[in-house]
Amino acid sequence: MPNSNFKDSDRFNLMLALTAFLVDGGEYRIEELVTHFNAPEEEIREAVRLIGFTELIEIYPRGPYQVDFDELNQGFVSISFSHSADLTEVPRLSPRQTSAIVAGLVYLRSLPGLAEVGEIEELQNILASGINREESTLEIDIVPGSIDADLVIVRDALSRGLSLRCDYLNNRGETTIGRIIEPLRLEPTAEVVYVRAFCPEKQSVRSFRLDRMRQVQVLEDRPIGEQARSAELNDEIYTPSENDLDVVLEVEPEAYGLIHDFKPAESPEQVSKYVKRFTVKIGDVRTLGRIIARFGGAARVISPPEAKKAVHEFALEAISGKPKRTPKDAE
Amino acid sequence: MDDLDPNEYKIGKPERLFNLTCLLLHYQEGLTKNEILRAIPAYAEDYVEGGDNSSLERKFERDKDTLRHNGIMVEAVIPKYEDENNQVSRYIIKPETFYWPKELKLTPRQLALLNLAAEAWAGGSLSGAATKGINKLRSLGMLSEDDGILGIAPRLSSYEPNFREINNSISDRRVIQFDYRNPKTGEILTRKLEPWLLRRVAGQWLVLGYDQMREAPRNFMLRRMLSGVTIVRGSQPFDPVDPKKVDAAVQDLEELAAKQVAIIKVKPNTEAWFRYQLDLAGPGTDGKVELHYYDPYVLAEQLREYSHQVQVLKPDTLAQLVKSGFEKVAEHHA
Repeated sequence: MPNSNFKDSDRFNLMLALTAFLVDGGEYRIEELVTHFNAPEEEIREAVRLIGFTELIEIYPRGPYQVDFDELNQGFVSISFSHSADLTEVPRLSPRQTSAIVAGLVYLRSLPGLAEVGEIEELQNILASGINREESTLEIDIVPGSIDADLVIVRDALSRGLSLRCDYLNNRGETTIGRIIEPLRLEPTAEVVYVRAFCPEKQSVRSFRLDRMRQVQVLEDRPIGEQARSAELNDEIYTPSENDLDVVLEVEPEAYGLIHDFKPAESPEQVSKYVKRFTVKIGDVRTLGRIIARFGGAARVISPPEAKKAVHEFALEAISGKPKRTPKDAE
Repeated sequence: MDDLDPNEYKIGKPERLFNLTCLLLHYQEGLTKNEILRAIPAYAEDYVEGGDNSSLERKFERDKDTLRHNGIMVEAVIPKYEDENNQVSRYIIKPETFYWPKELKLTPRQLALLNLAAEAWAGGSLSGAATKGINKLRSLGMLSEDDGILGIAPRLSSYEPNFREINNSISDRRVIQFDYRNPKTGEILTRKLEPWLLRRVAGQWLVLGYDQMREAPRNFMLRRMLSGVTIVRGSQPFDPVDPKKVDAAVQDLEELAAKQVAIIKVKPNTEAWFRYQLDLAGPGTDGKVELHYYDPYVLAEQLREYSHQVQVLKPDTLAQLVKSGFEKVAEHHA
């Protein structure tokens, strides 16, 4: 049962980290720890409870760490410890934990303007000297993509909570001049950088592609509004709505990435040795053409007929060179 | 569950590992296996004084492995006066291998950057390892509310079910095998590889290593692996690879990309026109763009997104690839 093991080792790690954090004697609200360790409240409570239960026969009959369970029930966490408790400092990282974070750093280095190269390299060195291994070779490397100068401008606006003005090309190939958006988050992905922003005109959060922005400008006198600040951002670039159509797709391994992109509600079904089938929610079937056609056969629409037709038309238009119609409501 | 009956309470694995860690850190002169089995409540409840404790001993061995995977080294030492008698091995965790070195301090800004690096894996292949690692570092202090980092959510995640296994086999220097589809011929072969380095190039994850079939360094795209990755049965860990060899192989791929050039023609005032920044090129542009590429199949995918907005002028093989892809799609959806 790898899943339950995985969870066990997560909990064990959290216990080590919490102990090292709490032995300084401070008292924390449980919400602070939830934020700090980015772990669910239940997991924090359980870890603290288990730390309190630690007992070692003959050495610490009462256990090295005392947790005040009444306080814990009220949402406050602190531990006291006997003078001979040993877990008083931060434990080292395992080579695997280190290599995962180093890979993340390598990725950050590939994003322009985020941090100085020297700063990242210093962190890589710190991590390398923090593990128990003589040789530390790079296991993961990321080649930076093309650099977009506008990224730096968007980051500047984000960090100062200001709006942006830009010319923006939408899916229909139309450019809006001087569009104003209130940026909330930058989301670099494998191929493109998205800017999640509140659009005061449309009164909603939308995803904008950085590569379709031009003349990007920070509006010094226009902080982002209250609505933008309180807008909820979920992790998905696309949020399905109730009117969406159920579309059944089949993918070969080369296009399995679509499963990750679409995150279907139900797990995919294996229909043959290599082919998986899954159902996704699609707002406008006309957006499917490019998504499916790019794989050149490794992905296909099974149903409904109107979705198949949309992909068919996209492919025929591409072959004949005639322009296609494009969705009306996508950004 | 506030009132636990101690007789019914089952001690879980996280608690057992935590107890074991505290115990071995406490006794710096080390403890024998029997002493450990008697001191840890989760072992002690099954311990038979003077009897057969072999299953308990195996549990202890497994726990040691788990600790090792979490970066905690349990060492067996034999006291000098006992010579080679490993029946009296004493187990310890040396503090210098356990604690994060005191001199390695992190500023709040550094901690925030490390946090962002770990979060880049959210939902991705190494998310578990990154989270566990960053949680340990978070106990070094509070995170900064660094303005320059707020509001950025970089995502490394991609659907690569084999990523973790490959990453592990690079650390452990194990020979792996997998079924791989050649994009050109469609032929599926089982390949054996000594993996050196995982790389993300042009948005694709590749594993570079020594290909035992071709007897040369090769790159494999993770997307084209049709099976899971397994360690070749009976194989020994391979020798550490000379970093110069890895650099040379990386350089080879870069040189290939420098050499492989495609020329496309873009229709004016389309999305592709914008994408390839021809709107910035000035009025005199002929709409032709040169693209360097690593892999024609990946480039063909990117170009297909722009449908008739782009036309491949050179090379013919790429133009054919784009077209035959569309033909297949049209056929599948007719």
